[in-house]
Amino acid sequence: MIEIKNLHANVNGKEILRGINLSVKAGEIHAIMGPNGSGKSTLAQVLSGHPAYEVTQGEVLFQGQDLLEMEPEDRARAGVFLAFQYPVEIPGVSNSYFLKAGLNEVRKANGLEELDSMQFLKLLKEKMKIVEMDQSFINRPVNEGFSGGEKKRNEILQMAVLEPKLAILDETDSGLDIDALKIVAEGVNKLKSPKNATIVVTHYQRLLNYIVPDFVHVLVKGQIVKSGGKELALELEANGYDLIKEEIGAM
Amino acid sequence: MGEPMSNLHNYNHYVSEFESFGKNGASEYPEWVNTLRRSALAVFAEKGFPTTHDENWKYTNIAPIAKTSFKYASDKLALDDPGHQVGSFMIEGLEHHSIVFINGKFSKEYSSIDELPAGVIVTTMREAVRANAELVKKYISQYVPLENNAFAALNTAFLNDGVFVYVPEDVEIDKPIHCLFITSKAGTEHYAVHIRNLIIVEERSKVRFAFSYRSSDENQNLTNVVTEIVAKEGSDVEAVKIQKESDSTYHVENFRLHQFAKSTVNVFSLALGSAIARNDMSVIIDGEGADCNLNGLYFTAGDQLIDHHTFMHHIHPNCPSHELFKGILYGNSRAVFNGKVYVEPEAQKTDSKQTNRNLLLSDTAVVDTKPELEIFADDVKCTHGAAVGGLDPVHAFYLKSRGISAENAEKMLTVGFAAEVTGKIVTPEIRRYVDVLVVDRLREKLGSLGLPDIVHN
Repeated sequence: MIEIKNLHANVNGKEILRGINLSVKAGEIHAIMGPNGSGKSTLAQVLSGHPAYEVTQGEVLFQGQDLLEMEPEDRARAGVFLAFQYPVEIPGVSNSYFLKAGLNEVRKANGLEELDSMQFLKLLKEKMKIVEMDQSFINRPVNEGFSGGEKKRNEILQMAVLEPKLAILDETDSGLDIDALKIVAEGVNKLKSPKNATIVVTHYQRLLNYIVPDFVHVLVKGQIVKSGGKELALELEANGYDLIKEEIGAM
Repeated sequence: MGEPMSNLHNYNHYVSEFESFGKNGASEYPEWVNTLRRSALAVFAEKGFPTTHDENWKYTNIAPIAKTSFKYASDKLALDDPGHQVGSFMIEGLEHHSIVFINGKFSKEYSSIDELPAGVIVTTMREAVRANAELVKKYISQYVPLENNAFAALNTAFLNDGVFVYVPEDVEIDKPIHCLFITSKAGTEHYAVHIRNLIIVEERSKVRFAFSYRSSDENQNLTNVVTEIVAKEGSDVEAVKIQKESDSTYHVENFRLHQFAKSTVNVFSLALGSAIARNDMSVIIDGEGADCNLNGLYFTAGDQLIDHHTFMHHIHPNCPSHELFKGILYGNSRAVFNGKVYVEPEAQKTDSKQTNRNLLLSDTAVVDTKPELEIFADDVKCTHGAAVGGLDPVHAFYLKSRGISAENAEKMLTVGFAAEVTGKIVTPEIRRYVDVLVVDRLREKLGSLGLPDIVHN
């Protein structure tokens, strides 16, 4: 699905990613864990094409295509989705209009017919059930006045509508209480299929109780320093990141 | 030689116009109206038109207006018939009463005032000065000072016609009242159309208005409006102004709202038209618990200049007032926003918020924004903020990350920028109509926008 090779990236001239190598296949869930400032969110943003980040070295192949050469909208159309850690509020643009425009772009790019308003509304209402979102959110401006939990649910709703091949969840658990966390995690699990893949970026192990990863990678100072199965997350939870940092220090 | 300190050079023109006005039609008005007119002309004569040396007009040079010898649009003037266009200026999907004026003259043909609740008066100023003289006398020119206000003085000197509405106590008028003022060309002359509106809403009554100012052609007229609204205790009023005269016109309005206790008034100014447009909007909050919302959207392109001066005067305690003005600017256009909030010592617990945001979509457009807060009470919540800039790239990235093209993201954000403030209009049909006008105007600049349902329903 995606092949990341020796990826280096800067923000404001400061190197944050220092040679990431990662390979994710269809049907897999990968968790990227790491302490604050390790570069987790940067990796997520770079993959989705955030303009603030500058890639200085390396290569990312998404289904054989050079992802780094693609505009953010083309990445989305090809099936890359980022669930933002801090979704922005967009006053005056309704949630449904925004999502319909996005979905139709994605459908067009994939040779599918665009949905009309009725068809879209039907689809949207079905998808809203997955994340237990009230229908009053349909016509509200994008994220405006949403609580932290509502914003995260709205991200997963967008993911449900767009049905990406690769979903990257950036700290989707931050700011969620346990009930909201379960709803969001369940949403992600319902959307999982052998044809798509998920990268879960998180600081804490808690989310991984609900979204069980096939692989866990530990990111420290812009590099993946350790990879393993789901038990690695529990190990990190028990010992914290300090032990790993010490291990690296000893290397 | 620099710019003159005043623009008196056209004074003689307006005196002779006034004489001719007196001989043609004006004379049929009651004598008290003529007295009012004469005193207003005398006030105008003192200083003439303002210049940019005047603090209130610092950013808006009205020399093109002062230098033009506008003729007053008299009744006997043969007007090009813009009749075929009147229909297109109506508000679609809205059951409403309409009162239509063409170049300042009431058009019975196009007006349609349905049955009204008992005691409600919806008529012309020309009619009201006779039939409702006591009411008009009691309120007219009470709220708009003429001193240092050349346009209001000139409007009063040439007081001729406009809309007069009186709503007695405890009445709710279901259908909105649409006051439509159309200007059109008449030969090669430039005409001054003075419109005088007076609205009196008594205690606990509810009424909604749209005031539309439109042109049927590319004329170079001056529309000079004075609107006075009196909202008595517990009344509930909405007044939406839609100004979309042709880009070659001049437009000035002195809008004065006087609010009594527990009244709720929602005012909106949509400013799309004219070469130079100035909206002076003053609110006096003269009663405890009165609530005022004053919002607006201006959209300028080419060489247009649109100026809003607002004044929110808090006299009594426990009154909220909210102002949100947004601007979208293209080309070499300019916009001015000057928002003054004045809180008297007695006006404790005032909750006042003023925001002005401007979206500059060209490198050569200019905005002058100036908040002015004068607060003499110590237990108040008053905030203000002003912003000028382009579209937020982080917002654009969010849209693009969902597959939306850069171009469409820009359009969507621009429409959304406008829709945030048009959403403050309470009457749904008027809000939708305003949204359509905004989207039409943006479409002229941005090309096809896709669906109009970008904006809220």
